[in-house]
Amino acid sequence: MGFALRDHTADIAVEATGDSITDVFASVADGLAAASCDDIPAATGERFSLSVTAENREALLFDYLDELIYLRDVRAELPVDHHVEHIDRSDADGSTDTSTAEWSLTATARGVPLTEIDAREVKAVTYSEMQLEFIDEHWNAYVVFDV
Amino acid sequence: MSNVTFDADGITLEQVREYVWEIPQEGDMRVPARVLASEALLEEIKEDKTLEQITNTTHLPGITTNAICMPDGHQGYGFPVGGVGALDAENGCISPGAVGYDINCGVRMMRTNLTYDELTGQEEELVDALFANIPSGLGGGGVVEAGVDTVDEILARGVDWALENGHAVEDDLLHCEDEGMRDGADPEKVSQKAKDRGKNQIGSLGSGNHFLEVQRVTDVFDSEVGEAFGLEEDQIVVLIHCGSRGLGHQTCNDYLRKIEQQHQGLLDQLPDKELAAAPAGSQLAEDYYGAMNAAINFAWVNRQLIMHRTRQVFERVFDRSWESMEMELLYDVAHNIAKKETHEVDGEERELYVHRKGATRAFPAGHPEVPKAYRDVGQPVIIPGSMGAGSYVLRGGENSMDLTFGSTAHGAGRLMSRTQAKNEFWGGDVQDELEEQDQIYVKAQSGATVAEEAPGVYKDVDEVVRVSDELGIGDKVARTFPVCNIKG
Repeated sequence: MGFALRDHTADIAVEATGDSITDVFASVADGLAAASCDDIPAATGERFSLSVTAENREALLFDYLDELIYLRDVRAELPVDHHVEHIDRSDADGSTDTSTAEWSLTATARGVPLTEIDAREVKAVTYSEMQLEFIDEHWNAYVVFDV
Repeated sequence: MSNVTFDADGITLEQVREYVWEIPQEGDMRVPARVLASEALLEEIKEDKTLEQITNTTHLPGITTNAICMPDGHQGYGFPVGGVGALDAENGCISPGAVGYDINCGVRMMRTNLTYDELTGQEEELVDALFANIPSGLGGGGVVEAGVDTVDEILARGVDWALENGHAVEDDLLHCEDEGMRDGADPEKVSQKAKDRGKNQIGSLGSGNHFLEVQRVTDVFDSEVGEAFGLEEDQIVVLIHCGSRGLGHQTCNDYLRKIEQQHQGLLDQLPDKELAAAPAGSQLAEDYYGAMNAAINFAWVNRQLIMHRTRQVFERVFDRSWESMEMELLYDVAHNIAKKETHEVDGEERELYVHRKGATRAFPAGHPEVPKAYRDVGQPVIIPGSMGAGSYVLRGGENSMDLTFGSTAHGAGRLMSRTQAKNEFWGGDVQDELEEQDQIYVKAQSGATVAEEAPGVYKDVDEVVRVSDELGIGDKVARTFPVCNIKG
């Protein structure tokens, strides 16, 4: 379980697998960090937490990765060593209508100061070719990032 | 239509005429797709998902005549890089994904009166000084670090803000598309998150394929137009390639998500979620257009600040004023943009959102939107090559309005993925070879970036430009060759 960087003509893709949905989200985020920096120091930086909400599972993955890129720029730190603590679904009115459901995520990451690493800019997460599926008892994800 | 076809592994292209290929309309395609390429370029284009993506683009509501792939086209996300799509501004839509994340990514070229001989011997000093003074890479800050109030002013006023604050001269505005300020820019439609990302990046190159390059003019193919552009052989020029940084990237994603939430019905009709579009006339279409125009202004200021800082670096290195070196903006062109333009379609004038993603506007001589300085010869088009190959200056060709809604290519176009490039090249070797074999001095924040941008990962820019010239959409004027290159 983990991630691999995959070829894309102009950009870069991350393929990840996990035993749980929290694992696969964290693995995609670790892939994003690896796409940004080849040599991530083992112990530099403090951990911080973040939370995201969205209307469905794929949107939650998109918004989680978008938030990490945003935090990278405003904190001037590369988020690494990702740990997704919870992914929950709540139905706003208790009904089974999926359109009213809200997905939420809480996670932590270690912020490595950009001044201490050679990091490349990943511009954005994209929906292009995005996959998030549960197959053969494992979660699989595929995400293309704009570089 | 001739009987010549090109089989691209399951997609058959029919030749309309030399260098013009068509993917016929079928299924849910609203129009045929066209690819402008030689067979040599088609052999490269067919290797990734470019053809599938340009075909997907024809599903967008209001797409007019054809979705068109330029000679440097390659796979992007949703819309291919090198794609042009003109969508009806009344009954069609506007698509953030068809503009791209880096809104108004573009290039500008600055002339000097220095010759290559005058610079020779000072390349290392110059590249070091540029690298030390032009912010680049991730977290490298900007020429200006400002609060959100300043960001709002930049978003609203573009290069006019730079002029008022001592980062530009009047002449710079006259040599920039729209004089460096888009009408209809609405800072209120840009999110706080986008502004927070942008405020520390005003005047910065970023990384990836963005760069600043000192070049020498090696060839002037059209002396009359070359003279109008102020170009002559052996002259030193400066090319700057970057965009709207995190502010633009965030703006694109903000609106992709809003479209997903508010216009799911339209999204469901499209074969790729990254083509997400807001229907023309909807509030969201208006909001995105206002935000995108504001981000366009931000990118123009970004390139302006880098250019003005470059003038100051040259002053120190060559110990004379930038004015005495005649460091003047030749032109600034966007290659990730959507603009409301009027075009003649089937004998009628129609207002269209012309999306150019990895494509450059190339209006011909006489077009009223070409700046006065160049109206008699056509709009300058700047085509950057890789750091080991030449770049080109073209002028908008007289066939561009008929064939491409006034557009041409934007660069060499990538051939090899970044991961493959890092496996095949080592940044240090690339730098050493460029310096020893071609006297090109490269300095970068990251060796990996140098490997990813090695000359071998790009298509042959000469062939891209040849096809543009043969089609008459962008005519060759001059060629330049790198001297010094800095990147993130």
